[in-house]
Amino acid sequence: MRYIKYLIIALSLIVIAWLLPALYELVIPRTDKMPFVVYSCLDSTFIRFESSNKQVRYVDFRGQEFSKAQADSLLPLFAFRQLVAEGRLPDSLYGVALTPKLIQQNAFHFKTSPKQLNKPAVGLYTLLESASGRVDLQLPPDVFRVTTNGLEFIDCETNKVNKAKSLSFSRELTKHGFTFPVQLIWGNSTDANDRLFQLKMVKGVPWVREIKTDNTNGWKQVFTVEPANRQLIGLVVSNDDQLFAVTRDGQTVMVGIDAYDPQQMQITIVGDLFHWTITEYTATDSRYYAVDAKTFEQVACEIVPDGERPLAQRIERWLLPIRLRFTSWRTQLIQPNINDD
Amino acid sequence: MVHAIFYKEWLKLRLVWCLAFVIHIGLITYLLLALRATLLSAGTVETWATMISRDVLMINQLTYLPLITGICIALCQWLPEMQNKRIRLTLHLPIDYSQSIGIMLLSSLIGLCLLFSIDAVTLSIVEQLWLPRELVWRTFITCLPWYIGGFIGYNVTSWCLLEPLWKMRCVNFLIGAPLVALCFLTTQPACYITMWPWLLVVLIATVCLPFYSIYRFKLGKQ
Repeated sequence: MRYIKYLIIALSLIVIAWLLPALYELVIPRTDKMPFVVYSCLDSTFIRFESSNKQVRYVDFRGQEFSKAQADSLLPLFAFRQLVAEGRLPDSLYGVALTPKLIQQNAFHFKTSPKQLNKPAVGLYTLLESASGRVDLQLPPDVFRVTTNGLEFIDCETNKVNKAKSLSFSRELTKHGFTFPVQLIWGNSTDANDRLFQLKMVKGVPWVREIKTDNTNGWKQVFTVEPANRQLIGLVVSNDDQLFAVTRDGQTVMVGIDAYDPQQMQITIVGDLFHWTITEYTATDSRYYAVDAKTFEQVACEIVPDGERPLAQRIERWLLPIRLRFTSWRTQLIQPNINDD
Repeated sequence: MVHAIFYKEWLKLRLVWCLAFVIHIGLITYLLLALRATLLSAGTVETWATMISRDVLMINQLTYLPLITGICIALCQWLPEMQNKRIRLTLHLPIDYSQSIGIMLLSSLIGLCLLFSIDAVTLSIVEQLWLPRELVWRTFITCLPWYIGGFIGYNVTSWCLLEPLWKMRCVNFLIGAPLVALCFLTTQPACYITMWPWLLVVLIATVCLPFYSIYRFKLGKQ
């Protein structure tokens, strides 16, 4: 019975190490606000949108504060709707005639975080028809899984494998030099043996091409990103944490930012006609980059180290030296994490 | 003696087990019919797409049923024994007291195991007719922590009920309730895959707890 007594003590300690930090966080909630940042091509500076007490402040990294109207003027591609309404949209910028349609076509937004990526995959994917003749994308009548030998399409109505389609798509991939099994899959881009492939369905027929790349380090993450200007079909991250853009003509181009580890960092990309504003949140700092939207070369960069932890968090660390949590900002999986703040 | 204790437990709990069986089969049938209705009304293609892309499994109503069953079985098993301290009779049987209590606990754990297996097997076999194996597996691994929660709920309730002192019952509850809550931390499907070994450790640990309560009872703690 002595051992059961020790067991009860051990269980109590685990419960205390888990519940007390949870209770502390409930009483004193964390307020980690991540400001929205956009690069101003006019002022060659980043403008932060800092919201506090329902008010938004517009400041740059030199500490200069702007009014809302000034911020709109400095970010004509971001605030074009407001400028159009006020009749203040410039006719042209850097020799390019500006129209709302052109601005809209070149604007895109991409955001992902470790928590979004680290979750159990279903293992089933849909391949949409790329030439359906309709404006809207339509759901295909089947889904596919990847096996060690190829793709397997399962008809939704019968719940049976469509052998002819499976064979046709697997053969088309193999014909283009694809070696199964698949290592990474995301949207319509697949990858095997560290080579990148794009797979599409055009009028029910498979269409495959290999993406040309200089990267020799293999890939750890693939994202499908397709802005309206069709300049881009995706983003890929190499095993050495380098971000690449996959262009429409099937090439990868290195994006001029420092390391991006999708498993550890949250990333936001706000793209416009001339620049991409890339924001990365790491465990120790916030990084802001502006890259050229055509060449992907770095134009500006600001790295802001995280300041001292708020007093409430420091007190928590002192009061509760062992903090057990089963949820994490890094993953949706439930697992024990000790002192993972 | 072992058979006799099993038989006594069956006589005591047969109505409760039958009721639990009817409720479980009823809910599983409802869930399967609801899934079939959705597949027919919304369309198979749309339903599969929703289940794949939006992490929907349509089994939410099942979440707390195993836990409620585990707690109810423990209440029906131990409340009559603890009234007027009738459990003393069991402790005076000509076998070791921990063995007799162990058999009583085991009988209910086997019952829960059978009941939960019927749920899981029925759900998986029927779902396989309409859904690909990936979604059937996902449903199964999503339910698994709820069923482990049912076992832990049974163990913790037994631990609290067998404890002779009210003060300690409250302490047991304060330790036991979070252990049960461990099985219900997320509604996201399949997110417990890395937690299974830990849940099994907690499950095995909680099996031992009622023995400590009965040991204190035997010592005559009042």
